[in-house]
Amino acid sequence: MPQSPSLSASGSASPGLARILFRRSEIGLVVALLAVILFFALASDTFLTVRNLTNVLGQASLAMIAGVGVAIVFISGEVDVSVGSLVAAVAIPLITVMNATESLALGIAAALALGLCVGIVNGFLAAYLGINSLITTLGTLFILRGGVYLYTGQKAIPDDVMLESFFQLGNGRLFEVVPYPALIAFALLLVFAYVMRHRTFGRKVYAVGGNPEVARLAGYDVKRVKFTCFIISSLLATVSGILLASRLGSAVHVAGLGFEFQVVAAVVLGGVSLSGGVGSLFGAALGVLILSFLSNGLGMLDLATEWQLVITGFIIIAAVGFDEWKRRQP
Amino acid sequence: MHAETLTRNEAIPLDVPALAMRGIGKRFPGVVALDGVDLTLMPGKVHALMGENGAGKSTLIKILAGVYGKDSGTIAIGGVETELKTPRDALKKGIKVVFQEIALISEFTVAENIFLEEYPRRADGSIAWKTIRAEAKALFDRIGFAVDPAARTGDLPVSQQQMVEIARALAHEAKIVVMDEPTSSLTPKEVELLFVVIRRLTALGIAVVYVSHKLDEVFEISDTVTVLRDGRHISTKPIGEHTHDSLIHDMIGRRIENLFPRSRTGSAGKVALSVEGLSTDTKLKDVSFEARAGEVLGFFGLMGAGRTELAKAIVGYDPIRTGRITIDGTALKPHDTRTAVSLGIGLLTEDRKLEGLMLELPVQQNMSLAALSSFAKAGFVDEGSERSAVQSFVDRFRVKTPSLFQPIKNLSGGNQQKVLLARWLMRGLKVIVVDEPTRGIDVGAKSEIFALIDRLAGEGLAVIMMTSEMPELLGLSDRIAVMAEGRLTATFSREEATQERILNAAIA
Repeated sequence: MPQSPSLSASGSASPGLARILFRRSEIGLVVALLAVILFFALASDTFLTVRNLTNVLGQASLAMIAGVGVAIVFISGEVDVSVGSLVAAVAIPLITVMNATESLALGIAAALALGLCVGIVNGFLAAYLGINSLITTLGTLFILRGGVYLYTGQKAIPDDVMLESFFQLGNGRLFEVVPYPALIAFALLLVFAYVMRHRTFGRKVYAVGGNPEVARLAGYDVKRVKFTCFIISSLLATVSGILLASRLGSAVHVAGLGFEFQVVAAVVLGGVSLSGGVGSLFGAALGVLILSFLSNGLGMLDLATEWQLVITGFIIIAAVGFDEWKRRQP
Repeated sequence: MHAETLTRNEAIPLDVPALAMRGIGKRFPGVVALDGVDLTLMPGKVHALMGENGAGKSTLIKILAGVYGKDSGTIAIGGVETELKTPRDALKKGIKVVFQEIALISEFTVAENIFLEEYPRRADGSIAWKTIRAEAKALFDRIGFAVDPAARTGDLPVSQQQMVEIARALAHEAKIVVMDEPTSSLTPKEVELLFVVIRRLTALGIAVVYVSHKLDEVFEISDTVTVLRDGRHISTKPIGEHTHDSLIHDMIGRRIENLFPRSRTGSAGKVALSVEGLSTDTKLKDVSFEARAGEVLGFFGLMGAGRTELAKAIVGYDPIRTGRITIDGTALKPHDTRTAVSLGIGLLTEDRKLEGLMLELPVQQNMSLAALSSFAKAGFVDEGSERSAVQSFVDRFRVKTPSLFQPIKNLSGGNQQKVLLARWLMRGLKVIVVDEPTRGIDVGAKSEIFALIDRLAGEGLAVIMMTSEMPELLGLSDRIAVMAEGRLTATFSREEATQERILNAAIA
């Protein structure tokens, strides 16, 4: 209903500072991240060291890379939970091909090929056949994990050729300080944030998630946009899987168990709406960082993992609940 | 597509029709929606499209928008014959339809929405945000629309969102702008501003189609009027050749067949529902009326008059600001459907699928829903008595269903409606409110629904029927109340009511 009597009433539209702070949830997330860091810096002597902080960054980068992809799928109005098994599955072609060819490039290519296939299957089933994407990707999550168990016989496949380049990928550091995975995560984040903001594809993803009917009327191919999002998500999860395999030094059948929920939790905490059209990749990345620092800090306080899980759960519900409440304010 | 083209496009010849639709036909299963309709639009003119609900206006503009394909006829744009295959296609050919449902992404800024179809881009292919903001600003300045292009669209009132849609049409060099009931949610002041904008559009050489029920607006803004009725083209005349009466006559013009069995003989009983001074924040303003046991009280109103809002307010669905609702002598607290149901008032909603039916569940569960507690002993539903109650209604109402366990989505619209009616009657109602009871129901089933409504009143219920269908209003009602813009504008007895009187009160 119109509240404003005049078409020239720009009052309702001019954003005040408070309004920007309220709307721009990234700022709230930065404050939350700083608060988490400050709290643990005060509570623990070992938390605020370069070594520890860069370690956390290194660990967070796997969830951040996959999280960027999952966030893009969320923004398009769909869901992707298959990433947890995909990170384990892609390690198999990676390690097997490297063992056979002694080539890192071929191994990576094989892993990406599997990731692409999974993305195509997810995207085809969810976007083109219209099967609910939560169910579709839950299905592929199970299928991939089962496939990994069957193929490996419930054992890890060791890396026989031990390429230095492969080891460095997940474990090396630039200038002995910044872990390579963190650099890769940051670079991918910037690239996709640019795409989402400054390329028409990105705007289409927001439009399709925000209001598919309007997007269709504007001439967008809604299905193709969603299909592409699933492929991006699977390829990014593949990158996470490659880095994880490098850290583990083998293809581990139980790698990434529960990883999908870690990623989904972080992305949602970062303000990306499950209903589509809302959120930013920077928000998602901040969500990953908040949860990573939280779990690291709680660990340093010698809090049992069980309690870490409980606390994380409460924080996610509280944060998303607050977000919902905020949204409902006039 | 850029703002500097906003002076009149000299390339548009003023004597060639911007659009010529000839012999347009469109059928839907069981209905002929359009039958040989013509429409000719001249550049720089406002062409009003009028007709009662169901006359075919919406179908025609959806064909124009590329949403529906036509079954027959031809469409020429600027003298060149063409096909409008998709919404995108129509847009590319210069046709922009502003539907009542605003087609904007509410999370995006106003400026971004304007360029949604085609973002201006820089040489490297990235989106030229600065250009977008600057051009949106320039565009708004030209049409005298002072809104911040950086505002979030969802934060704007509907009237301004409508302006954004019109600005969007200009950004895409539309030659034809269609507005579907553009004033239905605008205040009088906003309507004036809309008219200023429409005149600017015509000065640019754009042809405007103005779809409306509101006679005063049509006389004020349009150059030509085309009237449709029952999917047929009735007349196209310059507005100067019409009077209020001649226009209304063209819109109605038909005889009402006797679809309506009338078995009731007795006069109405005591007051079952009384509403005094009812106002809501959404629409209603100071509505007062009474409904008596054994009568059908019909409410008529054009789109946006407030019928559905009234229906929802009196059964307690929607909050009310002021006023008093009394059912059989007991006051109803606002926003309290539980009490409303226990006092014996039920609503048959306009939107069966959204608010009435549990589509996947069987007939039995759908029917017994409101009366479930009467079959329950200590919290367990006695299925035997539930089934026999449901079966007896299925027999009485002649619901066509293979079994009580059939998912209700497999039933026809008319049979679904019967199940919903039975849901409330099983409760033992005193007042039933039916909102557009025959929407989406074919003619045969309609007369059965009419017979049911007639019988309910005969059994002593007070029936309140909201409808926009004139024949059903006149055929069924004992008294007729007319609404316009949230107010009750007139009440007629069955004898006093004529189509002209009712429509005049509805247009007031």
